[in-house]
Formats: sequence, C-alpha cells, structure tokens
Amino acid sequence: MPSIRGNVRVAFEFSLPSVCGNVRVAFEFTLGPLRLQEAFVASEASVFMNQPPPHMSRPSIIIKLILGLLWTITHLAISFLNLWSHLIYSLECYLISSGLLRKYQNLHLGRLKCLAIVVDSKEAKSTVKVKQLLCWLSSMGVKYVCLYDIEGVLKRSFEPAVNVSRDRTAGEHFGIGANIKDLHRSQREMVIDCLSGSDGKEGIAKAASLLCSTYFNGDTHGDGKRKPAFTEADMASALKAVGCGGPEPDLLLMYGPARCHLGFPAWRLRYTEITYMGPLKSMKYGAIVKALYNFSKKHQNYVLQIRYTN
Amino acid sequence: MLFSHHSPAATSQLLAPSRRTLLLPLPCPRAGATSAAAPAPAAEAALLPGGLRAESLPRHVAVVMDGNSRWARARGLPSAAGHEAGRRALEEVVRLSRAWGVRALTAFAFSHENWSRPKVEVEFLMGQFERAIRESVAEFLREGIRLRVIGDSSRLPVSLQKTAREAEEATQSNSQLDLTLAISYSGRRDIVQACRNLAQKVHDKLLKPEDIDESLFADELETSHANELPDYPDLLIRTSGELRLSNFLLWQSAYAELFFTDTLWPDFGEADYFEALVSFQSRDRRFGVRKL
Repeated sequence: MPSIRGNVRVAFEFSLPSVCGNVRVAFEFTLGPLRLQEAFVASEASVFMNQPPPHMSRPSIIIKLILGLLWTITHLAISFLNLWSHLIYSLECYLISSGLLRKYQNLHLGRLKCLAIVVDSKEAKSTVKVKQLLCWLSSMGVKYVCLYDIEGVLKRSFEPAVNVSRDRTAGEHFGIGANIKDLHRSQREMVIDCLSGSDGKEGIAKAASLLCSTYFNGDTHGDGKRKPAFTEADMASALKAVGCGGPEPDLLLMYGPARCHLGFPAWRLRYTEITYMGPLKSMKYGAIVKALYNFSKKHQNYVLQIRYTN
Repeated sequence: MLFSHHSPAATSQLLAPSRRTLLLPLPCPRAGATSAAAPAPAAEAALLPGGLRAESLPRHVAVVMDGNSRWARARGLPSAAGHEAGRRALEEVVRLSRAWGVRALTAFAFSHENWSRPKVEVEFLMGQFERAIRESVAEFLREGIRLRVIGDSSRLPVSLQKTAREAEEATQSNSQLDLTLAISYSGRRDIVQACRNLAQKVHDKLLKPEDIDESLFADELETSHANELPDYPDLLIRTSGELRLSNFLLWQSAYAELFFTDTLWPDFGEADYFEALVSFQSRDRRFGVRKL
C-alpha cells in the first residue's frame, strides 16, 4: 500500500499592487515530513468495505486547515511587507520633496548633460502629467531633456510649443501654476527635444539608405567594387544628415507599465544609465530627485572605476 | 494552492485543494532528451518551478554577464578565477533555459571595448572561450542546443575562430535552444556592418537604396535568425548593479524587459533567474500592433 511520506513542497502565487505596477509573487516553502498514511488508509478502507467514504476524515481536515492558515498568514505577511515597502518609498519621496533629507537638497548635475524621458505612448496622452514632469526637471536644474514615445504623441503635443518657446523658460511656456515664480526667479532654461519612433529605427534605416546612395554615387568612395568600409563616424554623420543626430543621454528615465526603452534611438543608448520609474500617473517629485542623486553618485564611481568593470 | 511532493501521488480526495494541483519534481533535472524531437508542452510545464507560467515565459533571454572580476576581487582571487566561476554560471543558466523552455539565449561574453583590457586577461579569456566551446559541443549535441557566435571575429585568435566555426556547423541542426555567444560584439558595429551588407546588396543590384527600411535593415543584423526563433530578446538581464546596455543589442532591445540585479554574475543562479522570469511575467507588456 503506497504511503505518502517525505517533504511536501507548497507553492502559490498571487498579484499585489506595488509602486511599479502589479507584482506577481510566487512563494514556495517546504513542510517537514508529513504522514498521510492514516488518512489514505482510512479512505481506502472505506472503499474496500463498500461504504461511502467519509466526506473528509479528521486528519485531512486538520491538514487542510493548517495549510490554509499557513497560506493566509504568508499572504498577509507578504501583503504587509509590500505595503510597508510602499509606505517607506512614499515616505522617502515625501521627505525628499519637503527638503528634510539634507543629502538630496543640492543635486550636483554637472555631469548630466542630457536627460532622456521615455514614456509609454498611452500614458503620454496625459499632457498635464508630462508638463508637470518637465516643470519639475527644470526646477531641478536639468538643462537638456529628450522626450520620447514611440508613436509620436509627445512630438505632436509638445514640439510646436517647444519650437516657439526656445528662448523662454520651460515653465513660462507650459503655464504651470505655482512653480512659475520659482522658475522666473532662477532664470533657468531647459532645451526640450521631442523624439518618436521615426527618429529611432526608421532614422537608422534612412541613414543607411543615404550612405548607400552616397557611396554608389561616388561622392565619398572610389570605384565601389570593394565592399564599402563604412565606419561608425560615417553612420553618425548620416544620422545627423537625416535629422536623427543628437547627444547621447547620460540618464534615461522610463515611465510606463513595462520596463523597456521602447525603441529610443539605438545609436544614442550606448552607455546611458537607465532607471525605471513606474507608471507616469504615479510619478513623484522625490523619486526623480532620488534618481538624479543616484546618477550623480554613480557616475562619479563609473568615471573612477572605468577600467575595473567586470 | 499548489502542492508538490516527491513520493507517489495521494488520492485527490484527501487534499482537495481549492486551486489547480500540479505535481512538480525539483526544478531543472538534466534534460536527457535527444535533440530530434521537441519536448511535449506538458513535459516542459512539469519542469517549471511553481510560480512560472509556461505560456508567458520569455522566448528569448539576453544576459550581460557582468561582475566576474569584482567577484574575484571580493574573494582575494585572481580575475581568472572570477571568469571561471562566470563560465559555470553561464552553463547553469543554459541548463535552466533548456529545462524551462526558453528558446533562445544570447550571452554578452566579451564586448568590443574589452579589447582595451590588460593583454594577459584578454588572452586568458580567448583561451577560456575556446576551451569552453570545444568542451561543450558534446553537451550541446546531447541537449539539442544550437550554438552561434556573433561579433567581430577578425580580432579573435585563429584557433578560436576555427573552434567556433566547427561548433556552429556541428550544432546547426539542433533546435531545442539557440545559444548565441556575443564575443567582440558591439551594438553600434552591428548596425554599421548591417549597413555594409545592404550596400553590398545595392552594389549587386539586389535592391535600391530607397528600398532600405527597418525590416530589411533588421534582417542584416548579426542576431538575425533564419528560422522562426525571435531575433529580439523579450528579457534582458544585467548583473552586478550596472544600469546600462553598454553597447549590447542596442537595436534589438527596444521591447526587452530590462532586469537589473546587484548580484554578480558568478553568483547568478537558479533563484536569481527565477526572480527575473517572475518579474518579466508580472509586467503589463502591451505593445499594440506596432511592428518590432
């Protein structure tokens, strides 16, 4: 008669909301040796005696209750931990926003020449949120922002305004309420570059087409019999010629449900630091300050340790 | 609640769970199947640890194997020890990928920028790659793993080029897992060489410059597959806490879920891989109908 012995491994999963979207939690643990032989025997005995087996025998009820209790306790514990981490995160963002955490008060952004913001196209339709974000960045002293979404929503929403307002402060043009006074006071200006998918892969394809046309028109190379020896410099020049040049961002912040750069111009992503910020609708000022602060610290370490990576 | 145990199954009457019951062995036994037939979906699902759903696993995973030298330094060991430990970590990830049903794995073994490292270290790494490939061919044949090596091969030692070519030829008909090793690889150089290939086709009058679009360009990248396997990674893992692509799969990573972990590569094991895959499955990855 087979018996059930040995360890029992219990695994379950559930979804929990978190600061970065729903998180699926999978949890496993191993119970000590369980002896279920008695329950099994009782069930078999009932069948053997041609009697209907009891609906549930006592040991199996107890086991079920214990396992159910363990599952509930574990679920509660993980929910609590998740809630706790969410509270800590929100508290930290609040403390940063209110200026109570001294180390975040003075951001040294000298090395942040260009900041890229990638937004999921659906979330990019929330222009109020994007304007708020730009205003925050301007107030922090960011000088150059590349705004990107793959479908060009941001380009359509902001580019005409950006072109008009090149000589004004970003806050003045976008009409953000309470922050305008601060911006006027600080006299900060911020360059905003709006990009879309046409500047990414399409741009590289256009640059390749230009390089091929130029090569076979004999403008740059000789007889064209050898395979053209295009270099990275040639590609960079071609990208500039088709209007897809631009600086390599030092830092890229991703907003959206998925942690992807969504086709941001590949040529410009070589050594860009990438940070995922969560959905745009739950963006926090403190979280951005923290991301910029971490970048400023890390960038210094990267420069110092450049020969020692890996 | 899912139950699993190692002894013969009980009757379902006893433990009437409220959710689906799945009996799982310990994950990742060595898959000893021949390379000829693909494992049945039920068998693949049975090898998955609890919490992973077979239908939403990434088909193509890319890894940036960072942290070998730091791992060795932290232990007072020479960097060679770190690279050896890194090799073992990669073997484990290959085994897990094969067992869990990931169809393609691309590993960033050596970047084009790494040529500027100390000569001794570079020579050690080239030797290690050659030994690892030569010693793994039998395993690849047994497990149905197809090997490809991408990158600027012109700078590799001739013996390594030969070993890689022979291993590619020997394993080209395998279909269980596509393993791509990026050695002397650079994302920008990949783009430039695709451009050169297209220029050659223009020269051969196979196409005109104005015909070049995203799709034609993508077909010329080194990662392009001739078969149905996905060229682009669904999940890109980088270890050691760095938050950069470092010139790896710049074009191909547009829709890859980026998973950054502080774990150093030699310490990256089953638990870390599991965490990355769970993180992938938890994301709301809706990309509409845009062509990738």
